[in-house]
Amino acid sequence: MKFCHEEIGQATRGMMKRRTLIQSAIATGTVATLSPSAWANETELDIIDTNVSLFRWPFRRLPLDETELLVTKLRSLGITAAFAGSFEGILQRDISSLNNRLASECADFTQLIPIGSINPNLHGWEDDLKQCVGDHDMRGIRLHPNYHGYELDNPRFVKLLNLVADAKLFVQIAAVIEDVRTQPDQLRVADVDLTPLIENHVGRIQILNWRPRGKLVEALAGIPNIHFDVSRVDQTDGVAALLKTIPESRIMFGTHAPFLIPEASLIRVHESDLPASSLSLLMNKNAKNFLTG
Amino acid sequence: MSDHDGTSFGLPPAEQLKSDRVWDSYFLPSYKDFEGDMKRSQRAIEIGNIEKLCYFAHVGIGTTTDAAFEKSRQENPDSVSAPLKRWPDKLLGMINLNTNDVSTSLDALNRWIRDGQMLGVYFAGGGPGSLPCTHKNFDPLIERIAELKAVIMQHTWHVTGGKTSPGHSLPSELAEVAARFPKQQFICAHAGGEWEKGIRAVRDSPNILVETSGFDATAGFIEMAVRELGPERIVFGSHLPSRSLGTELGKIVGASLPDESRKLILGGNYRRLLRRE
Repeated sequence: MKFCHEEIGQATRGMMKRRTLIQSAIATGTVATLSPSAWANETELDIIDTNVSLFRWPFRRLPLDETELLVTKLRSLGITAAFAGSFEGILQRDISSLNNRLASECADFTQLIPIGSINPNLHGWEDDLKQCVGDHDMRGIRLHPNYHGYELDNPRFVKLLNLVADAKLFVQIAAVIEDVRTQPDQLRVADVDLTPLIENHVGRIQILNWRPRGKLVEALAGIPNIHFDVSRVDQTDGVAALLKTIPESRIMFGTHAPFLIPEASLIRVHESDLPASSLSLLMNKNAKNFLTG
Repeated sequence: MSDHDGTSFGLPPAEQLKSDRVWDSYFLPSYKDFEGDMKRSQRAIEIGNIEKLCYFAHVGIGTTTDAAFEKSRQENPDSVSAPLKRWPDKLLGMINLNTNDVSTSLDALNRWIRDGQMLGVYFAGGGPGSLPCTHKNFDPLIERIAELKAVIMQHTWHVTGGKTSPGHSLPSELAEVAARFPKQQFICAHAGGEWEKGIRAVRDSPNILVETSGFDATAGFIEMAVRELGPERIVFGSHLPSRSLGTELGKIVGASLPDESRKLILGGNYRRLLRRE
């Protein structure tokens, strides 16, 4: 089946009830009350984590790789909503199946907002996108260009950005999943070269897991629709330094859990001793704005 | 802002951290701006309730590529231990040795450990003073360090794709060395970086402990280290300020551990090594 801009638009207009509920809940800070699984009375904090993944990391078991354990941990840390991608989207090629599983799992944990996987190097990827929009009412998609084998100047990537923007979804680009120095010998992937984003940056884009450095961060800082997460921003003053480089409205909290320990990112933010206004944007408002477009 | 299990932004309550008595075995202020990096690290030190931090002094024996700095150190040796005088309640010190210059390094051991306040030795993984730890030049140095009952912190990284510099050491190489010096205690800095291999490499070397800093806060590290090595063979390092308290303390406080194990890792084991209990 061919998949065109108009079809995506129709699917978007046919939003499922779930999206409306989540959007409303995020906007009012009452995500917890929607959950069927004991997230009641958790409205004191309203941290939104824009970067978690469900299911199994392919190379080892992780302490929080069961969804119930993950959401319980997030809740204990005051994280009331999370953008959830799928580890299965990194290596598996049956994208439709894995997005089905992700949507199904998130349906049981309403605080999780499913973020579908798309691999534009696979035949029929447009149908996978259509499924994310029409069948699962997803708000965004997550890309793994290094694991899927394309550069960000690839015409299919550019087409994907345009289709996603037309559907009013956002795109998360996982610039890194694992430090190249610790990857398995027989499955090594370099960090994604983000340079082509300077030219190709349609729609709402968030870069995940990147450790900003050099002139590239300055170039990307000048592009208003490109956003960032803080999951791997290191150095004791790294988050504070990032806020001096990139407008604070475009940096969102993320943990990269359960691959990384979620406490790490939280403590790092605390360590940066940000003013309350910046903290509110980073931990909550920017993600809300990004989610709702 | 605090959440519902008594923690604040991922940190345990301050009372718990104080009770844990956090001693940092791997503090990395720049020799070029020690004072500045102390200030830069201050907030992390405070909110982490870190009691003591151990830095690695360059003592003017060719362990940097900065000729002016090396000359300055030689002309003003008091500058080596100046940080210990400036922050006597906070800092501990070890010295970098130049394994390419054994004679001068042996003199430095006497000067700074036997006759000074330094507690041990840092063998770096790069720079002009470094060699792989299996090099024969290490033997006389380790023998003397053992006589002085000092501690050895050996930089290690198992980098996928192979070594990255001539002075690079692997955890498996440290295990070889440790087998030849069974009475000497070694700390395997960064647990080898790729810790799943690093832990396995040193598992059968009871005189090697692993240090926890220097890589992302990858989940499962501490749990595997405790399972394979026991909590007595793990020491906390902060890698401040070039890494964050979040990354490094997060590894320990975010792990599923009994209280006693956490206390050992955060400070008890290191104090035992330094004979400061």
